[in-house]
Amino acid sequence: MLEALGIAALVLAAISAAFLFALVGRRMSLAREERRRAEMERRLKPLALALTEDDQIDLPVLPAAELAVLADVLGRYSRRVTGDARERIAGYFAGTEALARELHALDDRRAWRRATAAYRLGDMACRDAGPPLVARLSDRDADVRASSARSLGQLRFEDAASPLVLVLVEETVPRAIAFRALLDIGGAALPELRRLAGDESADLRAAAVELIGWLGDAADAELLVAAMEDSSAEVRARAAASLGRLAETEGAAALTRALGDRIYFVRLHAARALGQVGERDAVEQLLRQAREDRFEAARAAAEAVALIDPDALLAAAGLPDAGPHLHEAADLLRV
Amino acid sequence: MVTPDAAPLVLVADDDPDILDLVRYRLERSGYAVATADSGTEAVRLAGELSPALAVLDVMMPGLTGFDVTRRLREDPHTAGIPVILLTARAQEADVQEGFAAGADDYLRKPFSPRELSARVQAVLGRR
Repeated sequence: MLEALGIAALVLAAISAAFLFALVGRRMSLAREERRRAEMERRLKPLALALTEDDQIDLPVLPAAELAVLADVLGRYSRRVTGDARERIAGYFAGTEALARELHALDDRRAWRRATAAYRLGDMACRDAGPPLVARLSDRDADVRASSARSLGQLRFEDAASPLVLVLVEETVPRAIAFRALLDIGGAALPELRRLAGDESADLRAAAVELIGWLGDAADAELLVAAMEDSSAEVRARAAASLGRLAETEGAAALTRALGDRIYFVRLHAARALGQVGERDAVEQLLRQAREDRFEAARAAAEAVALIDPDALLAAAGLPDAGPHLHEAADLLRV
Repeated sequence: MVTPDAAPLVLVADDDPDILDLVRYRLERSGYAVATADSGTEAVRLAGELSPALAVLDVMMPGLTGFDVTRRLREDPHTAGIPVILLTARAQEADVQEGFAAGADDYLRKPFSPRELSARVQAVLGRR
């Protein structure tokens, strides 16, 4: 019995030692690989930098491992530059095996590989990747959808505007990622957003109207004023916020009317927007709202008066019926 | 400062080594000498030591931010005249006003166009 236990202990000790050796070996091999890669990167950086700046580069024939490192470095650079530098990076990747490999990997059965491919395709900056990435917005895996949305923004792929608004509304991609992607697409997304502002879905209209506030310009004031009459309170509230963001005086009358909206958060956003627009004609109504409305809307109204007419706020705060919100705004103003 | 080969010296500070690579490459090609710092503290030290003709500073650096560095440069009579261009991410655009209040001369949004950067550097130096 003792002899058997001794043998078992010896076997276990031998296995542990072998395991330890394997771990140390693996660690050393990873460190060696890391050093080799860092060295390759150091050597290839001048070429990568030249590729971002020069149109005529004689590309040396590189082994596959070095091409992969070069692709990684260029991918990192493409996240940091815009304009012709980014176009040159796209030009480098166009038609390469690296691009074809990542496009193919979008159909891989492993979700992590699809997500990685979607991410890398954004860094490669080739707009050819746009349509397959749009298709991946409905992937069954959340990471693949998020990576695809992020990359569509990186590619400034304007045809992705509607699908991105849809995933934003359906919340199948985190709001921050989908919203950021739409902002990255920028003004090129506006025609699609203007069309969606008239969609039959109130959720789509609301999202479109909000984004127009971030990406639009004075020409969108008319559309936003019309949205202030929408049957959906969410659309009216976001239209008010967008008019404030664009600081469009054209919307002042509609915003002042919205102070009488039956939904409090529409009144809240209208008050804030009037403050941003600086509409002096609305001061009396804002003062009334600051005294009588429910908490959030009243507070927004008092803050708006502080922006438009500080003297009127201080005078109103001195009256016996001023209420807490005018007092608070006046105190903040004095500070 | 103008380097011995008559190239104006530009100090670039960013904690992102890739940005440092890209900015340095572009500015050197445009005929400037470049000194780099990977933190705000290092940027303040190099500015005092080298008296660069201009500084390009990232807004979000660990320790001293680009705003802090700009303020420190303005407070020191030796560095008060160094023009500053801030590099700022889109999310920090609301803070641009703070940058101008701190004494910055211009700002550029990240991701940036290297060509635009060199045009801005040239314009700011030309204004001085």
